[in-house]
Amino acid sequence: MNAAVPDPDESTVLPSAQSSAPVAAATPRRRSHLADRLRLFALMAYGLVGAFGLIALRVPSLKRRMTDQDLSSTLLSPLSDGYLLGTDVLGRDFVWRLIGGLGVSLAVGLSAAALSIGLGLLLGILGGFYGRSAAATTSVLIDLTWAFPAILLAIVFAGWLGPGLRAVVLALALTGWAAFARIVRGEVLSLREREFIAAARVLGVPKRVVAVRHLIPNLIPLTLVMSVFFVATSIVAEAGLSFLGLGAQGSTPSLGIILSDGRDYLTVTAWPVVLAGGVLTGLVLLLNSLSDSLRDRFDPHRRHDA
Amino acid sequence: MRYALGRVSYAVFILLLASVVTFLALRATPGNISNSLINPATTPPEVIAELRSDLGFDDSLPKQYWDHASGVLTGDLGFSLSNRTPVSDLIKDAGLYTLALAAAAFLIAFGLGVPFGMLSAINAGGWFDRVLRLACSVAQSIPNFVLALVAVLIFGVKLGWLPVSGANSWKSLVLPAVVLAAEPGALTTRVTRTAVLEELGADYTRTLRSRGLTKRRINWIHVLRNSLSPIISLGAVQIRTLLGYTLVVEVIFRWPGLGTKLVDAVLDRDYPVAEVLALLLAAVVVGSNTLSDLLYRWADPRVRLSKSDT
Repeated sequence: MNAAVPDPDESTVLPSAQSSAPVAAATPRRRSHLADRLRLFALMAYGLVGAFGLIALRVPSLKRRMTDQDLSSTLLSPLSDGYLLGTDVLGRDFVWRLIGGLGVSLAVGLSAAALSIGLGLLLGILGGFYGRSAAATTSVLIDLTWAFPAILLAIVFAGWLGPGLRAVVLALALTGWAAFARIVRGEVLSLREREFIAAARVLGVPKRVVAVRHLIPNLIPLTLVMSVFFVATSIVAEAGLSFLGLGAQGSTPSLGIILSDGRDYLTVTAWPVVLAGGVLTGLVLLLNSLSDSLRDRFDPHRRHDA
Repeated sequence: MRYALGRVSYAVFILLLASVVTFLALRATPGNISNSLINPATTPPEVIAELRSDLGFDDSLPKQYWDHASGVLTGDLGFSLSNRTPVSDLIKDAGLYTLALAAAAFLIAFGLGVPFGMLSAINAGGWFDRVLRLACSVAQSIPNFVLALVAVLIFGVKLGWLPVSGANSWKSLVLPAVVLAAEPGALTTRVTRTAVLEELGADYTRTLRSRGLTKRRINWIHVLRNSLSPIISLGAVQIRTLLGYTLVVEVIFRWPGLGTKLVDAVLDRDYPVAEVLALLLAAVVVGSNTLSDLLYRWADPRVRLSKSDT
């Protein structure tokens, strides 16, 4: 389930193959500034709409617009009867459904990414910098986590906490961190051998301080790239779990729920699937492209070629 | 050899832990099968208690785990609690479907990804390369359930060419396999392209050229072979990705495989089925990781000969 398990690992598992290879040499890497600006603008638009949706979900009068049903005008196509994007099977306005859906995506994406990144950093540094037993423990934890698909964990959490967005965030964070911890550990292992770390250690700076003052700042570029990536994968995963009925429940406007409702009426109208699918795919495309170009920017091998 | 042994015993250890974790996680979820077998509101409590003790729920957790684990080790996988079929039969039936689906997707992903990535690298910067790279970013960004819906819409609803659910003929396999293969295929293409580009710039390629080998021979034999290691290690990751995605894709296309069975079993608290299936999944993932580590060392002498075995 990419859906459910957007596998954070794949584009990152092969850091050596993917990020440091001098691909750029043969690739026209020079992106026009215009395209960069357009992407930034589009992402900001998504962010603003999402933030507005998040606020609207908390304001009863606005939330009602997302959940109020009007059975006299159901499954309308866009631009009919004064509905810009049409209505769903219960006559709810698609403009508001999508705004709310983006709000949910934003909240889940950001919180799951923040938790995965935090856990991954912590355990990656522990595994790479704190001696043999810490290294062995983190390896076992990482490999154990990797053995399960996130969907399984999501189902289990849905059982414990009751199905809902909280269970989704927890399941995503508890599976996502392993991929990041693996990369961080690799990075820390190589940083550890560098002279400035050795110098700090020789001067008697405690490990904790070295980790915070010297290791973490050097991990920032990597963390930034991976954060964007995790936001994208978490958003997809939330939609996927909600699509399967394991995520957002009831009238919560999640993109996944809009899609799964849309599936039931696919023979009648394709609009719900096209709209929600398009909004979701567009967002993921933008985020993936942002994380790719961040990676290029931070990678000296690539920057040199650009 | 020693490395291989160590690697395998580590894998076994991870699987053992995985089985304990699944066992505990499932039992910690509220509700149990007796609620779906009988109606707790209308059944006398004695009957419920009897059923619970029959099913072994009254034993202590370690005893329950021991019964389960010794069963698995001796090949006795137990019975499904919901319909009393032996778990081994269930796995055989559903496993074939999942295997067919995953194998088809794996073949599509690698069968197209490797040659496409190769062609893309050889023609780097050309129109084929550009179109392919655009297609790859879209294929990597579109969530598979959205792609599934689009595929159902176009080929099932609008054109009516292919069945969109069930597993009645080979035609039923087409849509789920293609949807499943989209993202891994795009990733394979990209990784192959990167690896091949790197090799194309290597010194030995120039040497081979100067010896008069044809371009085609160099590219498709020497360069491709040397580009294999990232592709192999990608393969293992892909197996994990495919398995994870299979769960969703099977549910969407109502493909009667292990994914559908697992999701149902967890939701129904059918412990024996869920535990064995989750363990099977973990075994495939851990096994493929181990295999790829070993293959990786075989394919790349530098890794094999280096001292660090970790």
